[in-house]
Amino acid sequence: MRRYVVDRLLGMVLVMLVVATMAFLIVRVIPGDPAGIMLGPDATPADVAGLRTRLGLDRPIPVQYVIFLRDLVVGDLGQSIFLGRSVLQALADRTEPTLALTLMATLIALAIGIPAGIVAAVRRGGALDQTTRGLAMLGASIPSFWLALLFMQTFAVALGWFPVAGYGEPGAPFLERMRHLIMPAVVLGLISSALITRFTRASMLDVLGEDYVRTARSKGLAERVVVMKHALRNAMIPILTVVGLTVAVLLGGAVVTETVFGLPGVGNLVVQAVLRRDYPVIQGALIVIAGIYVLVNLVIDLLYTLIDPRVRYR
Amino acid sequence: MRKILTASLAGLLAAGAATAALAQEPRRGGVINVATIGEPPTLDPSVSTTDVVGMISLHYFETLYTFGTDWKIVPLLAAGDAQISDGGKVYTIPLRTGVKFHDGSTMTSADVVASLKRWMDVAVRGKQAAAFITDVAAPDPNTVRITLKEPYAPLLSLLSLPTSAAIVVPASKAQAQLAEIVGTGPYRFRERQPDRYVLLTRFDDYVARDDAAQVYGGKRTAWLDEIRFVPVPNANTRVEGALAGQYAYADSLPVEAFPSLRGQARTEPVVLAPFGWPVMTINTRQGTLANQGVRQAIQTALKPSDMLEAAFGDKAFFKPEGALYAEGFIWHSKNGVEVYDQGNAAKAREMARAAGYNGQPIRILTTQQFEFHFRMAQVAVEYLRQAGFNIDLQVSDWATLTQRRTDPALWEAFFTHSPFLPEPALNGYLNDQSPGWWSTPERNRLVAAFNQESDTAKRVAVFADLQKVVFEQVPIIKIGNFNALAAKSPQLQGLTPAAWPFFWNTWLKP
Repeated sequence: MRRYVVDRLLGMVLVMLVVATMAFLIVRVIPGDPAGIMLGPDATPADVAGLRTRLGLDRPIPVQYVIFLRDLVVGDLGQSIFLGRSVLQALADRTEPTLALTLMATLIALAIGIPAGIVAAVRRGGALDQTTRGLAMLGASIPSFWLALLFMQTFAVALGWFPVAGYGEPGAPFLERMRHLIMPAVVLGLISSALITRFTRASMLDVLGEDYVRTARSKGLAERVVVMKHALRNAMIPILTVVGLTVAVLLGGAVVTETVFGLPGVGNLVVQAVLRRDYPVIQGALIVIAGIYVLVNLVIDLLYTLIDPRVRYR
Repeated sequence: MRKILTASLAGLLAAGAATAALAQEPRRGGVINVATIGEPPTLDPSVSTTDVVGMISLHYFETLYTFGTDWKIVPLLAAGDAQISDGGKVYTIPLRTGVKFHDGSTMTSADVVASLKRWMDVAVRGKQAAAFITDVAAPDPNTVRITLKEPYAPLLSLLSLPTSAAIVVPASKAQAQLAEIVGTGPYRFRERQPDRYVLLTRFDDYVARDDAAQVYGGKRTAWLDEIRFVPVPNANTRVEGALAGQYAYADSLPVEAFPSLRGQARTEPVVLAPFGWPVMTINTRQGTLANQGVRQAIQTALKPSDMLEAAFGDKAFFKPEGALYAEGFIWHSKNGVEVYDQGNAAKAREMARAAGYNGQPIRILTTQQFEFHFRMAQVAVEYLRQAGFNIDLQVSDWATLTQRRTDPALWEAFFTHSPFLPEPALNGYLNDQSPGWWSTPERNRLVAAFNQESDTAKRVAVFADLQKVVFEQVPIIKIGNFNALAAKSPQLQGLTPAAWPFFWNTWLKP
């Protein structure tokens, strides 16, 4: 098991190197540069060239790449061109809203998706199943920006229950900041719950047809015990996979939702960095997001062993 | 009984009138959130021409001059008008005394000289002026003297603008890259949380002018305790935030939101008319449209009134007008405008053929980041294709477009827009280094005459001639005028609609 974890972590270094190289190349292949954006529309080419020199963007690409890798090895993701702080600091600033949003949205998605999936599987073919499947299809099809605007108009503008956007006023206490996350979390949670519902239903249907479930029922166990204890635990591995992927996506930044709700999270940071061509932030964020993906996947793989003792890694 | 009723009614009316008067009475205190179109790329308005930087920074930095009613140049940190001598080559500027910086020091001519030198070194427009300036000196602590090698009429306009701005900072802090934000404005910079807010608080030691307020000029009073500029890049979110009352002011809203902003309790529309002008800039240096005849054919083919309608929909937000400056500006002229808004495909086809156009691709750059640019481009493409032009519409994000347009090999035309700048010389098409690179003997002669003439009436006449040459040589095609839409809370009083919104002299109604 320990060997397995070490191997995975070593493999992760290779993945990160590939990601870092891709990130470095991608931001330099796309047209547009930060100097032009920083100086504004009336800047002359000479001014833009001067700023490029000051930012080190005029150096040959291989030289920039070597400097980038050298800094990366010592954990230096560079300085943001626009934010006046290091990339690590910029990412750390965005951690709280993104982490909290991920947690809240995941809890909402699980609270809706797993019970709905179980009920749909148990009542297969019935009205409840049809309704749940219809709603899950709807949830998977609705664009998040549209749902976000609908929520804004209803719960912020018409009812005034929640703020429209932002992450609280300067010095806002923790609970006030969390209040700003409720609407975005519900939007993300509802959309994510659709996928979890569908996976839960499919996985439960597979398990409910198994011999051991029939045996449990024939022993006279209550249906609740059969479903919740015998079937659900064995159906959890695919569900856990999709939950893990959902968490990884949300941690990487729910780009559209964060942008629409004006949340200063990782997703928003990435979008703004791309629009501003803030190369170090784009690179740093891509590397960190890729790292999160790999780590979350590793954690999910390890969780399999807890759920199913038959799973062993060597 | 009747007497009692009459007295009660009179009392109620008096109380109502008193309440109304109270609402009009400026009141100290309160905090406002201002939704801006995005995060400012910098807090230093010298190094950027971006409007959002100018809008925020003009609360904490000030310039020697600024713009008053009808874009008249009025003194701000200067005590009065500049004395212009030696045939327009020497500007002697008296300074106000006792003006405090945010760090507690008092402004002197040494600070102004250091700041102007910094501006000439780091600002795009400062460098433009520096080409004409031979010396900036301080003959005494309250006077600054700028000496030019030849007359340069746009100088005072350049010293007044809030973008690429000639801000005044303490001499000890006038490094190329500002280490701290210390100005003289009615608000002081307090904190910046990127993508969350820029926080400004009232500067209690602010020394205001005592002449009457007029747009950016005159007496500035900071009634509000705090102003928070909140970046809200999504336009729909700015609209919803205004409707919910979350923002006291929401900048730059889509015109489609106008009907939904009317008749609301928590917000009301603010229309700035006219705000600016969309334009198709043409590459006169290289490629198919370096041929003036083909440019004239393009001008003949286009129907700007249709392009405006597609871009803005509601007629309250646009006006098809070919004149380079809208009616109401002193620079307005009808010289040459008869070729505007023709949409004549047959004539354009004939003109293009006569000019030697033979189906070469014409690359037009546009972006969807400014939705109205994209819509105008789509209509333009249809009109141009009808006239037989082979159009390659290239859509990218704005950052990509601004980089591509610096290379004359990559494009024939692009869409952009500009506010009506108070000084025509500041427009890109009159700068032969700006993308488009318009430079012909007629243009160069008129631009030189325009820049050297200090008499306003004569400058107006020269600009009218320049406008005629623009229509003849077609370095740009002005599409028309458009208005800007914003929203403000009904509680926010004293607001003057302006190209760069400002919030001194505004207060919150109780």
